[in-house]
Amino acid sequence: MFGLALLLVAVSWELYKWLGPQDGGTVFGWSVLPRANDRAMPHVWEMLARYAEPERRDTGGPIVLVVAAGAWFSLRLALAGFVMGTLVGLALAVLMARFRVVERGLLPWLVLSQTVPLIALAPLVVSWGGRLHLGAFEWPRWLSAAVLGAFLAFFPVAVGTLRGLTSAPAASLELMDSYAASWRQTLFKLRFPAAVPYLVPALRLAATASVVGVVVAEISTGLAGGVGRLIIEYAREATADPAKVYTAVFGAAALGLLMAGFVALADFAMMRNRPREAIE
Amino acid sequence: MNAVDVRNLSKVFNQGRPNAVAALIDIDLSIEPGEFVSLIGPSGCGKSTQLRLIANLLEPTTGEVLVNGKPAGQARLDQDYGMAFQQAALFEWRSVAKNIELPLELKGWDKAERRKRALEMLDLVKLPEFGDALPWQLSGGMQQRVAIARALAAHPPLLLMDEPFGALDEMTREHMQDELLRICRETSTTVVFVTHSIPEAVYLSTRVVVMSPRPGRITSVIDVDLPPERDVRTREADAFFRGVTEVREALRGIGPAGSGGAP
Amino acid sequence: MRSPRALVRVVLPPVAFGVAFLALWEAAVKVFDLKPYFLPPPSAIWEQFRGNVGLVWDAASVSGTNALVGLIVGTVVGVALSFALARFRLLNDLVTPLAIALNAVPIFVLVAVFNNMFSITSEVPRRLMVTLVVQFIVLVNVARGLRQVEATQLELMRSYAAGQLAILRKVRVPNAVPYLFTALRIAAPASVITAFVSEYFGGSQNGLGSRIVGNIAISANAAAWAYVLGACLLGLAFFVAAVSLERVATPGGVSSRGRDGA
Repeated sequence: MFGLALLLVAVSWELYKWLGPQDGGTVFGWSVLPRANDRAMPHVWEMLARYAEPERRDTGGPIVLVVAAGAWFSLRLALAGFVMGTLVGLALAVLMARFRVVERGLLPWLVLSQTVPLIALAPLVVSWGGRLHLGAFEWPRWLSAAVLGAFLAFFPVAVGTLRGLTSAPAASLELMDSYAASWRQTLFKLRFPAAVPYLVPALRLAATASVVGVVVAEISTGLAGGVGRLIIEYAREATADPAKVYTAVFGAAALGLLMAGFVALADFAMMRNRPREAIE
Repeated sequence: MNAVDVRNLSKVFNQGRPNAVAALIDIDLSIEPGEFVSLIGPSGCGKSTQLRLIANLLEPTTGEVLVNGKPAGQARLDQDYGMAFQQAALFEWRSVAKNIELPLELKGWDKAERRKRALEMLDLVKLPEFGDALPWQLSGGMQQRVAIARALAAHPPLLLMDEPFGALDEMTREHMQDELLRICRETSTTVVFVTHSIPEAVYLSTRVVVMSPRPGRITSVIDVDLPPERDVRTREADAFFRGVTEVREALRGIGPAGSGGAP
Repeated sequence: MRSPRALVRVVLPPVAFGVAFLALWEAAVKVFDLKPYFLPPPSAIWEQFRGNVGLVWDAASVSGTNALVGLIVGTVVGVALSFALARFRLLNDLVTPLAIALNAVPIFVLVAVFNNMFSITSEVPRRLMVTLVVQFIVLVNVARGLRQVEATQLELMRSYAAGQLAILRKVRVPNAVPYLFTALRIAAPASVITAFVSEYFGGSQNGLGSRIVGNIAISANAAAWAYVLGACLLGLAFFVAAVSLERVATPGGVSSRGRDGA
C-alpha cells in the first residue's frame, strides 16, 4: 500500500511535468504554478539514476555513498540529541511529579514552548561552536546540532512522561501506601510502568523533533558532514545538475524514517506485555 | 489482645474550613482475632473511611486506632494487614505471580523466597497454573482472587476489604464469598469487610456493624447466629433469613424521621 | 469563571518561575561575565527589541504572512481531501500510511526543491511548504473525525434509512469539528515554524529567520535574540488565535478529541 502510494506520487509528478507550464504559470494572477521543465523538475527516473553517478563529474564513487555518509552523520547526532533530550525530559517529569510546586510553575511554560518556534534559537546555539570554552572543553560545532535536537525533544518527553506518572490509578497508589512504600519505591514500581503507554507517543514526537533540530542546525549554519549541508550545496548546483539535490532530500527522508524505526522498536519492546493500545 | 481496637474515633475532613465534613464520630469497636466483621450502611455513612483509618491511610481527628495492640501507623509499617479494593488494582504490566510478590519485594524478601510464597498463595486461591498469566487475561473473579492472594502474601493476621466483590456478577460473587471463607479459615485471618449487600454481610460475618450517615456512626452491632462452616444450604436456612431481616430492619430504622423507609 | 483565589493559584507559580528565571539569567551574565556571543542578558535583548520594534515587525509580517497563507490554504485543502478519504476507502488506505511516514520525515527540506521551481524572489516556495505541512496535519485529524463515529450513531441513522450524504451531514461532520480544532491547535504553531525554517534555504531574505542568521553573522547577538523573541511572539499569537477561534466556534465547551500534540 505504501509502495502504491509512492508510485501514485511519482505518477502525479510526471503528469504535472507533462501537462504543466514549462516556465511556471499563474492562477488568477498569482504565479503559483511551478515550472515543469526538466531543469526545475527532473524526471523521477533521473532522480533515481542520479544515485549511481558520482558526486562531482570527475571524482569517483557514486553519490549514494556520499549521501549515505551524510545521513549517517546526521543520524548519529539525532540519536545523541534524542537520548539527551529523553533523559532530561524524564528527569524533569520526575521532578515535577515529586514537587507540585515545580509542576505548577514549570508545566505551563513547557506546554507553551510547544507552540513557539524554538528552532529560532538554532543559529544562535550553533554559533557557540568553536567559540565557547568551558574550562578546557571547547564546544565542537556538531554538539550544537545534537543539543538543539535534545532541546526540541525534551519538551514532549517531559510533558508526556508527567501525564503518565500521574496517571496511576488511585487504588494502586493507596495499595502502595498500605505497604508503607517510599516515594522512590512507588516511583519505580508503580508510576514509571504506568507511564509507559504515555511515553510511547511522546518518544515518537521526540524522535521527529530531534531530527528536525539536527537538520535545521545543519542548514541554518551549513554544518559540514551532515545531510542538511548536502541539501544546501546541491541545491546551489541545481541549474547545472537538477537531479542532484533530490538525492540528498531522499537521504534526509531516510534519516527520519530510520529514527522512527528505532523508536518503533523501542515502543515494541516496552509495550510487549500490554494488552491495550498506546494512548494517543 | 484484640485484632483491632477503635476507641473514640472521629474523622472530620477539611476541619476549620467552610466545607468541613464530619465523616465519622464516636466510633468504638473491638474486633477479636479470627472474627469476620462486616461494615454495612448507606452511602456516606463512613464505612470506607473507617476502613482507611484502620489501615492508617487516613489520620483520625480524635481517638485512637490499635491494630494488633500497636498504633495503626506502626501496624502499617510492620505490614500487619493486607488490603483488597473493589478494583483489583493489579499492575497490568506484571504477571500474576509478580503481582502477588509485590508486598514481599517491598519488604526485601529474596527472589527464591518470594517465588515460593507466591506459588503457595496461588494454590491457596486455587489458581495454580496462572502464575505467568497477565491480569488482562483473567476474568474479574480471578483477578480478585489474585488481589486476595496478594493481600495475604505476607501472611498478615488482618485482612481489610473494601467491597472487593462489588464489580462481579451475582453468581461469581457467591462463589467468591465461599472461597473467601475457606481461605480465611485455612489461614485464621481476621477480616474487616465493607459491603453494600445485606446477604453478603450476613453470609460472611460473625458480626455485622450497621452504620448510618451524616454524621457517620455505628447504630447497631448484630451477632450473626450461623455456624462457622457455611455453604449453599446456609443461604437457605431460616437463621440466615432471620439475620438478613435483622440487618435490614436495623438499616431501615435509620431513615429520615417519620419515613421509616430505606435511605 | 473560576474564583479569583483559584485563578491566582494557577497563574502565580508560572509567573513567579518566569520572573525568577529572568532574574537568574540577568545575574548569571553579570556574575560569570558571560560573553555576549554566548548569552546576552535579558535587559540587552529587551533593549534591542524595543529599539528595533519596527524592523522586527516587518520581518515578522513577512514570515507571518507566509505562515498565514499556508495555514489557510492548507486547512482548506486538508479538509477537502479528508472528505475524499472518508468517502473512498481505497484512497484512505493509500494516503494514511503515506501521511504517517511523512510525519517522521523532515519534509521542510523540500523547500530546497521548491526554490528551483519558482523565481528567486518568490515567497511561494515557503507558502507551498507551509501548505503541505498544514494540509497533512488537518487531513489526518479531520479524516479521523469523519471516520471514527460511534457505531451506535451509525446504526441509528441506518434504521432511519438515511443515505450516505445525510449521514455525512448530520453525524460525521459534527463529529469531526472538534478534530478540526485540535488540528488547528497543532497546525498554527507548525505553520510559523515551517515558514521560519523555510527561510534558511535561501531565497528572499526578509523574514525573521534570515534576520536571525544575518545578525549572528555580524555578531549582533542581542539583536538576533530580539528577533527570536519576535518569532516566539508570532508563534504564540497564532496559537492564541487558533484557540480563540475554537472557543468562538464551539461554545458550550465541546470536548475536543483527537491527537494532542502530535
